Amino acid sequence: MGNNIDIKEKLAAFEPSAEWSDAGDGMFRIPAASFRKTAEYLRYNEGFDFLRSLTGMDWGEDGLGCVYHLENTSTGENIVLSTADKDRENPALPSVYDLWKGANFNEREAYDFFGIKFIGHPDLRRLFLRDDWKGYPMRKDYDMSSNPLNMENEVSDDDAPSYEMTDDGSYILKRHPLFEEEEYVINIGPQHPATHGVLRFKVSLEGETIKKIDAHCGYIHRGIEKLCETSTYPQTLGFTDRLDYLGAMQNRHALCMCIEKALGIEVSERIQYIRTIMDELQRIDSHLLFISCLCQDMGALTVFFFGFRDREKVLDILEQTTGGRLIQTYNTIGGVQADIHPDFVRKVKDFIGYMRSKMNEYDEIFTGNVIARQRLVGTGVLSREDAISFGTTGGTGRASGWACDVRKRHPYAMYGKVDFKEITFEEGDCFARYMVRVKEIEQSLNIIEQLIDNIPEGEYQMKVKPLIKLPVGSWYSAVEGSRGEFGVFIESRGDKFPYRVKFRSTGLPLVACVDTIAKDVKIADLIAIGGTLDYVIPDIDR
Amino acid sequence: MFDFGIITNWIHTQFTSVMSEPLAIFLECVIIGVCLLLLYVVVAIIMIYMERKVCAAFQCRLGPDRVGPWGSVQVICDVFKMLTKEIITIRHSDKFLYNLAPYIVIIASVTAFACIPISRGLEILDFNVGVLFFMAASSIGIVGILLAGWSSNSKFSLIGAMRSGAQMISYELSVGLSILTIVVLTDTMQFSEIVMRQADGWFIFKGHIPAVIAFIIYLIAGNAEVNRGPFDLPEAESELTAGYHTEYSGMHFGLFYVAEFVNLFVISSIAATIFLGGWMPLHLPGLDGFNAVMDAIPGFIWFFAKVFFIIWLLMWIKWTFPRLRIDQILTLEWKYLVPIGLLNLLLMVIVVVFKLHF
Amino acid sequence: MGYIKGIFHGLGSLLTGMKVTFKEFFTKKITEKYPENRAELKMHDRFCGELTMPDPDKCIACGLCQMACPNGSINIATEMVTDPETGKSKKHLVTYEYDLGSCMFCHLCVNACPHDAIRFGTNFEHAVFTRSKLVKTLNKR
Repeated sequence: MGNNIDIKEKLAAFEPSAEWSDAGDGMFRIPAASFRKTAEYLRYNEGFDFLRSLTGMDWGEDGLGCVYHLENTSTGENIVLSTADKDRENPALPSVYDLWKGANFNEREAYDFFGIKFIGHPDLRRLFLRDDWKGYPMRKDYDMSSNPLNMENEVSDDDAPSYEMTDDGSYILKRHPLFEEEEYVINIGPQHPATHGVLRFKVSLEGETIKKIDAHCGYIHRGIEKLCETSTYPQTLGFTDRLDYLGAMQNRHALCMCIEKALGIEVSERIQYIRTIMDELQRIDSHLLFISCLCQDMGALTVFFFGFRDREKVLDILEQTTGGRLIQTYNTIGGVQADIHPDFVRKVKDFIGYMRSKMNEYDEIFTGNVIARQRLVGTGVLSREDAISFGTTGGTGRASGWACDVRKRHPYAMYGKVDFKEITFEEGDCFARYMVRVKEIEQSLNIIEQLIDNIPEGEYQMKVKPLIKLPVGSWYSAVEGSRGEFGVFIESRGDKFPYRVKFRSTGLPLVACVDTIAKDVKIADLIAIGGTLDYVIPDIDR
Repeated sequence: MFDFGIITNWIHTQFTSVMSEPLAIFLECVIIGVCLLLLYVVVAIIMIYMERKVCAAFQCRLGPDRVGPWGSVQVICDVFKMLTKEIITIRHSDKFLYNLAPYIVIIASVTAFACIPISRGLEILDFNVGVLFFMAASSIGIVGILLAGWSSNSKFSLIGAMRSGAQMISYELSVGLSILTIVVLTDTMQFSEIVMRQADGWFIFKGHIPAVIAFIIYLIAGNAEVNRGPFDLPEAESELTAGYHTEYSGMHFGLFYVAEFVNLFVISSIAATIFLGGWMPLHLPGLDGFNAVMDAIPGFIWFFAKVFFIIWLLMWIKWTFPRLRIDQILTLEWKYLVPIGLLNLLLMVIVVVFKLHF
Repeated sequence: MGYIKGIFHGLGSLLTGMKVTFKEFFTKKITEKYPENRAELKMHDRFCGELTMPDPDKCIACGLCQMACPNGSINIATEMVTDPETGKSKKHLVTYEYDLGSCMFCHLCVNACPHDAIRFGTNFEHAVFTRSKLVKTLNKR
C-alpha cells in the first residue's frame, strides 16, 4: 500500500505507545487514551483527510474497539489504525466526527452494534436498529434470543443523546432535541417514491424550503455482517450480491479479491479480463438505472423507460453468461463461476455500438433540456473538502473535483493496463453528478472495447482447496463499485469462518452528506439531490 | 353544415305540445343534464384510455392490451373497480370539507364542460359573455383543490394544495390574456359567435403572428392550469406522493382523477374553439368545391378531431419533459408568459386597428 | 437580449426533446407479450431458475450439497442398502428435498457436487399458492 514505511516511522516517533502488528495488511494499535491526539496529528499534520472505513470490532478479551482506514488524498498514503477499550461493560472511545465528517454515521453504526460510546459525538443514536433494541448484536457474547420479534410500534427518540467526559472520568449523558416544537416536520419515506427504497428523511420545512434533514436508516437491515461470521468463506460470497444490487459484480469482486489476497492466490489473466469486463458492464447497467431513476424523480417518465430498455441489453448479456440478472453469483474465490458464453464477445461488441448511438438520445431528450438544466445546475453543491471529509466516493466525489476513483488510486484487475479517463467535474452540483455518470458510461464502453478482443486463453477457475481457511490477520481491499469505493475488511483468526467482515458501504456517506448539501433548497431539489447522489438502500442497510 | 338546432327545436315543440312551457323547459334541463353527465363520463373514459395508450407509445410500450380488443375495456373495468372501493375517512380531518372538496372540483369541471360548443346548435351554455363565464366556472376548481389539501390533515396534501393554489391562480392570468387576444380579434365573447366568425378561416390563420403566439401561450398556460406535466407539481408523484389527493380513496379519488382528465379535454376544446375554429370545417376562401367537401364532414367530427389532436400534443409535451420546480413555474409565468402575453395583446390590437389580419 | 435568446434557446432544447419522443412514438414497441409468447420465449441455457436433478442415479447421497448450502434449503434422506452381489452396504438416496423458497442461488451446492448430479434449470414459472409447494422432491422420476 504505497510508501507507508515513511508514515509508519513518523507515527512511531510521534506516539511511542503505538504497536505495529504485521498480520495481514498490518495495522497500528493505539491506546484509547492517546488515540484522539494521534488522530488529530494524522489529520492536521500529515494530511490524512479521507477516512476510508471505520469498523467496529469485538476483540473479546482485548476489549471493544474500532479499526480506522485512513488515506491521504494528495499523496495516496494509507494507514490503518486500531484502538480498543478493555471495559466491556461501558466501553468508550474518543469521537473523531469533527476530524472526518464521515465518521459521524460510522460511529453511530459502531455504537449501534457494539455499544461503544463515542465521547464528544453530538448525536449518538442508534443508526440501524430500533431505539428499543436490547443489547448490541455484533458483540460476540450477544444473546440471540434477547430480541424476539417485536410487534410493538417503534417510538423513535426525538432527541439526540451525546456523552461527555467529566474530569473524574465518568460520563454524563446530554440530550438535544432534534427539531423544535414549532417546526413543520414531514417524513419523506420510508415509503416514498423518491427515496429509492426504504429510507426515511425527517425534513423540517419552512414553506417549500428545507431547513434540516434527519436521515433514518435501517428499515431493511439484514445483519449481513453478522451472518458472515457464521458462514464459511464461500458462503459469504452469496451475500455481496444482495448489498448494492446494482453492483453485484463489483461487490463480489471486492470480497473475492480480499480473500484471494489473504490466501495469496494469483488469478490468471483471463479471470482478470473477465472480471474487469463484467465490472464495467455492471457499471453501465447501474449508470443507466441512475439516469432512468433521476429522470423519473424529476418527472420525465419517458426517459425512465428508455433507460430500462437499454439496460435490458446489458442484463441480457450478463444473464447469458452468469445465469442471473440481478443476483449474478459470478465471481468465486480464485476465479469465476463459469467461462464466458461463446456469444459473449459478439454480443458485447454489438452492445457497444448500440449504446454509443443511444447516448445521443439521452443528451437530446434530457441533458440539453432547458428544464432539466434549470433544475440541476447549481443545486445541491457539495464542496471538494466536504466530499473528502464525508468520504463520498464515486461519481458524487468526482463531480466535486475529487479524483477518488479506486481504479486509478489502487489499480486492481486490468485497470492498471487499460487506458481510460477519470471523469471529474469542479462544480459539485447535481448537474455535474449527472454528467459524471453519463461520461462514465462512455469511458466504460472504452474500457470494454480495449479488452473484449484480447481476452487471453487460460483457466477461468484457479485451483483452490475445498476447505478455505484464512491465516490470522486482517485485510482490506476495495474496488470501484458503481457508486463509489466498495471495500471489504476481513479479520480472520485462522478458522474457516471469518472473525469479522465489514463491508464499506458506498451509500452511507452519500446519505450522511444529504443534510449538508440539501440545506435551504426546495423539496423538489431534495428529490433531485437524492436522485443524483444515487444511493442504494440495501447497500446502506447491510 | 347540419344544424342540431333543428332537432332541439323539434324536441321542444314536441314537449310544449303535450305539457306547459315551464314544465317542458324543466324536463329539457333534466334531459340535457343527464346527457351532459353521460358525455362527461364517456369523454373521461376515452381520455384515460387515450392517455394510457399514447404515453405507452411514447415510451416504447404497448399499454393496456388485455381487457377487450386493444385493452379498450380496461378503463371501464377500472371505473367499476374505483366505484366499488371503500372510501376511507381520515381521522382528525375536517369531515365536511374533506367530503365536499371532490364535488366542488367536479362541479367546476362539469360547468366548464357545458360551455363548449360541440357542433352547430349543440351548445348548452351559450350567451354573450360565454368566455367570461367559462373562465369563472373553471377557476372554481381551485377552491376544491385547496379545500382537499387543507381538510385532509396531511402535510403532503397541504403542500400540494398550496402549490396548486399558487400555480393555478398565476396561470389563470395567461389563459385569460391569450383568450382576450382572440376576443380582440373577434369583438365577441360568445363561443358560438366566435366559431361562426371562423367560417372564412380559422383564427390561427386569420390572426397570424399574434394568434400563433397566443396559441402557444394558451397551450402552456392551459397545461399548467390543469396540473399536467411538466407542471404537475401539485401532485408531483416523486415529491409529494400524490399531492392534494394523497388521502383520498375510492370514488373520491376517482372524481379528482376524472376531473383532471376532463379539464384537459375542456382546455383543449377551448383551444380548438377559439384558435382552430371549433366545429367549423377547414374553409379556404375561393375554393368552393373544396369547402363543400369539407362541409360534408359533420361538425362534431371536426370538433373532436381538433380537440384530440391538441390533447395528443399536450400528452406529447407531458411525456417528454421533466417537471419544473415551484419557483421556476412562477418565474415562467410572471417573467415570461405574462409580459409576452401583454405585448402580444398589444400587437393584436395594432393588427386589428390597422386591419392587418386576413 | 439574453432574455430573448434564453427563450429561443429554451424552446429549441424543448423541441429537440420532443423530436426524440416523436421518433419513439413510431418505432417498434419493445413490450413482450408474456403468456402468449411462451412458445418462442426461450431462456438462456445458463439461467438459474431452480435446482434440478436430471439423472437421480448420478447422486450418491454424499450430502456435500446439503453441507454447502448456507440456508439449509437441501434436505437429503438416505438409507443403507446392501448390494446382494458384493455384499457391501452402500448409502442410497431416498428423497432429495429442495426448498426453492429459501434458495438464494449461490451455486455452492452445484459446485460441491462431485458427480454433477444437480444443476440449475431454466424453468422460471414458480408461482404456487402455498409455501409448502415450493419444497420439491428432485429425485422423483
